[in-house]
Formats: sequence, C-alpha cells, structure tokens
Amino acid sequence: MNERERRDFEAGLAEEVDAWLSGRPTRRTFITRLGQMMGMLPLAGLALPAWTSEAVAAAALDLADASTPLGKAQAAALKASTEGPADGSAFRAVAAAKQYSGVSLSMTFEAGLQALDQRNFSGPVWEQLTGIKSNVVELSHPDQYSKPVAEHIAASGAYDILDIEPAWTPSLADGGVIAPLDDYIAKYMNKADFEDYHPLYKALPTYKGKIWGFFDDGDMLALYYRKDIFADPKLKDAYAKKFNKPLEVPKTWEDYAEVAQFISDQLAPNVYGAGHFRKAGSPGNQYDFMQQFRANKGVLFDADMKAQLASPQGIKTLENMLAANKASIPGNNELDAVSLWAAFLQGKVAMIYSWPPTGRMAANYSQSAKAINFIPQSSVAGKVGYAVMPGGHPEHATGYNKALAADSANAEAAYLFMQWATSPPVSLARTMLPYSLRDPYRLSHFKSDLYRSLWPDAKDYLINLNNSANVGLLDMIMPGWQDYALSLDRMCSSVWAGTDPKEALQTAAAEWDQTTERLGVDSQKAAFAEYSKLPGSSADHTIETMGMAVKMD
Amino acid sequence: MAPHTGTLSPPRPAGALARLSDWSERHFKWLLVAPAVLLILALSVYPLLFSVWVSFVNYDFQIPGHAFVGLKNFSMVVFDPVARWSLVLTVLLSAANVAIEFGLGLALALAMVRTFPGRGLVMSILIVPLFISPVIVGQAWALLLQRPFGPMDYVLGKIVGHDVTISWLTQTPWLYISLILADVWQWTPFMFVILLAGLTSIPPNLYEAAELDGVDSWLAFRAITLPQLGPMILLAITFRLLDAIKLFDTIFIMTAGGPGTKTYTSSFYLYTVGFTQFHLSQATAGSWIFLIFTAAVVSLLVRRLLNTEPA
Repeated sequence: MNERERRDFEAGLAEEVDAWLSGRPTRRTFITRLGQMMGMLPLAGLALPAWTSEAVAAAALDLADASTPLGKAQAAALKASTEGPADGSAFRAVAAAKQYSGVSLSMTFEAGLQALDQRNFSGPVWEQLTGIKSNVVELSHPDQYSKPVAEHIAASGAYDILDIEPAWTPSLADGGVIAPLDDYIAKYMNKADFEDYHPLYKALPTYKGKIWGFFDDGDMLALYYRKDIFADPKLKDAYAKKFNKPLEVPKTWEDYAEVAQFISDQLAPNVYGAGHFRKAGSPGNQYDFMQQFRANKGVLFDADMKAQLASPQGIKTLENMLAANKASIPGNNELDAVSLWAAFLQGKVAMIYSWPPTGRMAANYSQSAKAINFIPQSSVAGKVGYAVMPGGHPEHATGYNKALAADSANAEAAYLFMQWATSPPVSLARTMLPYSLRDPYRLSHFKSDLYRSLWPDAKDYLINLNNSANVGLLDMIMPGWQDYALSLDRMCSSVWAGTDPKEALQTAAAEWDQTTERLGVDSQKAAFAEYSKLPGSSADHTIETMGMAVKMD
Repeated sequence: MAPHTGTLSPPRPAGALARLSDWSERHFKWLLVAPAVLLILALSVYPLLFSVWVSFVNYDFQIPGHAFVGLKNFSMVVFDPVARWSLVLTVLLSAANVAIEFGLGLALALAMVRTFPGRGLVMSILIVPLFISPVIVGQAWALLLQRPFGPMDYVLGKIVGHDVTISWLTQTPWLYISLILADVWQWTPFMFVILLAGLTSIPPNLYEAAELDGVDSWLAFRAITLPQLGPMILLAITFRLLDAIKLFDTIFIMTAGGPGTKTYTSSFYLYTVGFTQFHLSQATAGSWIFLIFTAAVVSLLVRRLLNTEPA
C-alpha cells in the first residue's frame, strides 16, 4: 500500500466511521448489513454440517478383509440388505428407506467405543444403501437418560434414535420421550426375527402391551477365570488338603470368596484371587448386589411395596461381598470396569466377572482393532475359561434397546434404520466388530460359525453367554430404577468404606421407600407386578424355571 | 385552524414510510438497546422466574403434571440428610482449600516478589495448573492416586522404606486430603498471581523508611505488607471462595461422590438430584437454598471489600 492508497483508505474509513458514529445517513445500511449477517448465519449452519458429515462418511467406512470371519459376516449383511431374501427385515428396511434419501438421523450412543460401530460400519453402510445420513451423538451413560429427557421437555426434536437401558423404558415411555413401534413392526418387519432373540431378551422392550424398541446388546455378566491356575497340581493339592474338597470353579458365592482368598494366599502379590469394579458410580456395585441378593433368595419388595433390603439375605449378601473384597487385588474398591479389565489382562487376577467384552479382550481379539489399543494386550489369551456366575443367577447388567424418540421429525426413517441394524445378519456383523462393545444377543449370534471361529475358545464363550441368559436376572424394569440403583451404589460403597452393613441396608431401604412414595405406592406396586411377570425378575422365575431354556452345543 | 374541505385521501405509502422513519428517528436509542434488553430478559430474567415457579410445583419427569406443592420441595431438601451433609462438606472443603491456597499463594508471592535469574520461567511453570480444565486435573490426580495402578503409594513406600497401602480415593480421611490436594495444586497459582500483583504495588519508600527506623523484616511484614495487601487479600479470598463453593468437577471424576455420600458437595448433590435422578423441582429448590447461603457469605465479603482501603 503506497502513501496515496493509505490516505484514500483512511479517508474512506473515516467517512464510514463518522457515518456510523453520527448515526445520520446509514441506519438503512446498518439494518441492511445486520440483516445480511443474520442471513449468513443459518446458511453457514446448513453448509458446514453437510460438508463435514460428507467428509466423515467418505473417510469412515471400514470393512474387514473379505477372507476373515468378520469380513464374511459383513458381506453377508450387505447381501441380505441388497439381494434379500425379499421378506427379510434388512432387505425390507433398505427398500423402504430409500424414499428418505438425504435425510439425516440423529442417534445417541454411549461415548467412546459404542459409537464407533455407527461411525465406522453401520452408519456408512446404511448411507451407501439408502442415502440416509447419521449424526452420531456421543453421551456419557447417565446422560443417555437425562439428555433425551431434557430435549423432550424442551420439545427440541434433537434426537431420532436413542440407545437406552431396558430398565429406563417405563420411565421414558410414561414420560412420552419414546414412541411405540407396533404399527411400524406390523408394516415392515419379518416377525420371525423375534423368534431369533434369546427368550430372556425377547420381552425386554415390551411395556404395557406395546413394543418400545429393539433389544440390541446382550450385557450378561459371566465369570472369567484362569484355567491354568485352577489346573495347577500344586494348588489343587494344597486346596484339597486345606478344605477337604477339590479346587473347582466356584458355584456358590461362599465358595467364590473362599477360593479367591485361597489363591491370594498362595500366589499374591503375583496373582490375586479376584477383582471387582467397586468404585462408586462405576457401576458394578448395584448389579453385583442385585444378582447376589436375589441368588440368596432375597425379596426386593413386600406386598405393600416396602423395601426388603434390610433382611438376613441382605446381610448375607453384603458380608459375602466384603469377604470377596478382602480376597481381592489391592485397590479393589477403587477399580472401575476398565481398570479391572487391565488387571485381568495383565494376569494379576485369577477370576473376574464382568460384561461379555471381557472374553473378546482376554483372547486378544478386540485388541486387533486400533480403536481399542488403549486396552493392554492380553497375557492370558488361551488360558481363560468361561462359567456361569457363582450362585447360578447372573445379572443382565443394563443392555441396550434402540428406541424411537417420540419427537423425531423422521420417525419412519428412524424406525427403518433400527429394524435394519438389529436384523439378524446386520446385528451379527455389528456384534463381531472387534472394537464394538455390542454383545451377542440373538440365537443366530450364539450359533454363528463365523463368530465361533473368531478365536479358539469362542464357541465356549458363546455357549456360556447363552447358558447364562437361561438363568439370568434382569435389572428392575420399572419407573424409578435410576433412584433405586443409586441407593444401592451408595449403600455398597459406604459399606466398603466401613459403614455397618445393617445400618447401610436400612438407609438404602429407607431411600427405596422414599422413591416408591414419591412415584406413588399404587403405581409402583402395579409396575413391580408387571416387572415380576418377566422371565428373569427373580431366581425362581427365570427362563430355565419357566421351561424355556435354550440348549446349545 | 382552516376547516377540512372535501374528502380525505388515504395515506400514501410515502407518508407511512416517513412516519416510520420519524418514529425510528425518535426512538433509535431504544431500538439499539432493545436486543440487549431482550437477551437479558430471555437468558436471565425468564430462567430465574421459571426456576422460582419450578421450585413450588411438581416438576418431576417421572410424575405427570405440574401440581402446586407449596414448600414441599424445599422441605425435601432441608430434611434430606445427604443435602445437609453436602452443605457441611462444602463449607469444610471450601474453608480448607481457600486457607491452604492463601497460605501457599502468599508464601510463593513473597518468594517471587524480588527478581532473580529464571524468575520468568519459574512463574510460568507455577501458573500452568491454572489453565488446565478441572476435569483433567481430577483425572490426572485420580490416575496418580488410584490403587493399584497409581504410583503414589509406590513412591511413598520408597521414601518411607516400607509398604504404603493408602486407599486415597475411598478411605477416610485420605479421600478428603486427595480432593484438597488436587484443588490446592490447581488454584494456589490464582492466589499467588493476585497477591504478587498486590505486593508489587506497595510503595517501596515505606520499606525504606522502615529500614531507616531499624524495623526488622517480621515487623515490616506485619506493619506494612499485610495492611497494604489487605484489599488484595480480601479480593483474592472472595473470588476464590466464590469458586471453591461450587466444587464439582474433581469430585465427579475422582470419587463420584463416594464412597456412599461421603464426598457429596452441594453442587454434586444438586447435580445428582437434578440430572441423575431427574427430580428437577427438588434440585431447583435446593439451588435456591444454596444460593441464599452463598449470597449471605458473599455479600458479607463484598461489603468488606468495598469498605476496605489500604492503611
């Protein structure tokens, strides 16, 4: 800029600034420019997400090598979506969804690995097949409940599809946050798909006679133990001498604590008998208490809906949990699920019970994906056995339903995605993703030769998950579960910190009664009665005791 | 006035535009202010009034309708032992945090008030924690302290020569010490920076005069430094206390309020009631109660601050 240009520039600037300051001639300009700027904002808002989502979709599709079991499962899912059979739910969903090409669906996922399936596989494939984009919203687990509620209260229509705990279904359905699927199912779905669910999971999205989602994650807890330790001759001899019985994978909770203590006494500090995720909010406490309490024949409520936690069964449960804690790795009460996995994979712990990804990680299958390389490589691959939980009644800890947001502006397109993603061939490919935390839940998953060939013991792993579901227990699927669960977590973690079990049980029972009264005793009584009808609501009312167990070999 | 004759013609568009122009000319200052006023009404006044309404009705997601319930939401907070404990813990932790941070900040400021080689570098390192998100601070300290993977017990064991088995995040009183440690690490630099600014603004001639009078350094500190620094001390404590009573992030990450409810602060309690249990009315009533407590303390401090002048 030369001197003359500079003077012209400054003169022009001064004129403009003077005009603005004096406010004389340029109000119209001011208003015009303000209008222009306001107009540009929505345009920018439209352009930027469209551009970025296209860029992400183009970069994301991540198909496995076609010669691998996962690659074959993915190819089968694509074939079922494009070639049929024509009456298959995947094919029907894709055919119907093409009319919504260009629509974008917002769907919630637990932040992290759960969302990767949608980002890397399901989302890009669905977009290729139908032209429907997906906007992945990652939320922390509690926010998967609270955010949809908040958005519903604000009537924002922010979400189309929600990943929710089955236990939240009554609250979200009664609150109008989610919509029933029955009409869409009648129109689009091949009903035979329902028969492919393990019977424990089949009824989970049903509430007040309507279907409020598709079950999509078999979160059955199971026992994972070190076969080499249980087969060690020296340990077996020592155990037999001390207890006058053989060293075996424990079948009762008393045996579990005893065996864990024995292994710690023999092998610590190299290996400890057990480990648990006991950190407040982790959320192992509530699930562990629920499964042990009910395995001990504890009753949750009496006929008047008074909480029955403060009972001999409650005391027995907490005392046994304390004994297991004592036998565990140092820092047991500070562990969350990931820390516990790390301890087990490093060979520091002989027994853990946790969610199904434990089996895939222990075999080093999960770690084949870059996305999960923060988990240490397994030093126990090939040495891990799978068993149904001690006490014989494992908890189905959370799980996920895919639910349709009631405020969705694209309800039918959203439904069709849900039907496609949970259909047998597509859900198989999704549960086989190494980085996925989406666990097998269909009979076709448990029986899949492709899944069974993922690692040498995969067949045993799948059979154990099926057998666990046969005797498994469900979280309380009724309004207020969030509050009841929070009380359990507080109760357990306070006991770990030294509170007397009886006192903690009484405090938790009082909190449960307060929750029941807040929500209405009669309505809670009715909700609990409905929950009690579900298989898995108590140890006396499981899939097996109802004669519906699925035998598998 | 001349009488009207003939019929009135309808106003011409040009006339309407002219009137509009005149009107906007007269009221232009209000038009300019209007967006800001509307924003304040929408973002501040409306939510405030809405929250008052919410605290007197049933606004619980799981209970249909918004029936008027009077003071029930407030009584649920007042008679909730967890709420009462959270308030006590908030007071204790805030007092401990601010007191320690003040002591350390003042010591650091006194040490750094004179120039020395490398002072700039040391100061830069000292204030780094101030710029880290409290969530990250909480995560970092949790990783350091968590058994069995965190290195803290191992390092302490090496220092003292025997095994250290402290459960920093679940064992009383260590869990409180851990929370204070994380807070002090992050916020001492805040005290340090403000007090250092105060120290550098004290006129040096006061110290020169004291030196001529043979006053020793301790007396100079008590008679000159502390009185001169008084307003800045009050300012730093007020600002820091305002923030400390909202302690949430590090608790959320390090202890999740546990074990039991041992580390529930008021903020964590309100978050849990509001956004884990979704009892919005109770949480809102609790927020108002907490606000009243806070306002009482803060208004006292601010009044002192406004009335204080350097001696």
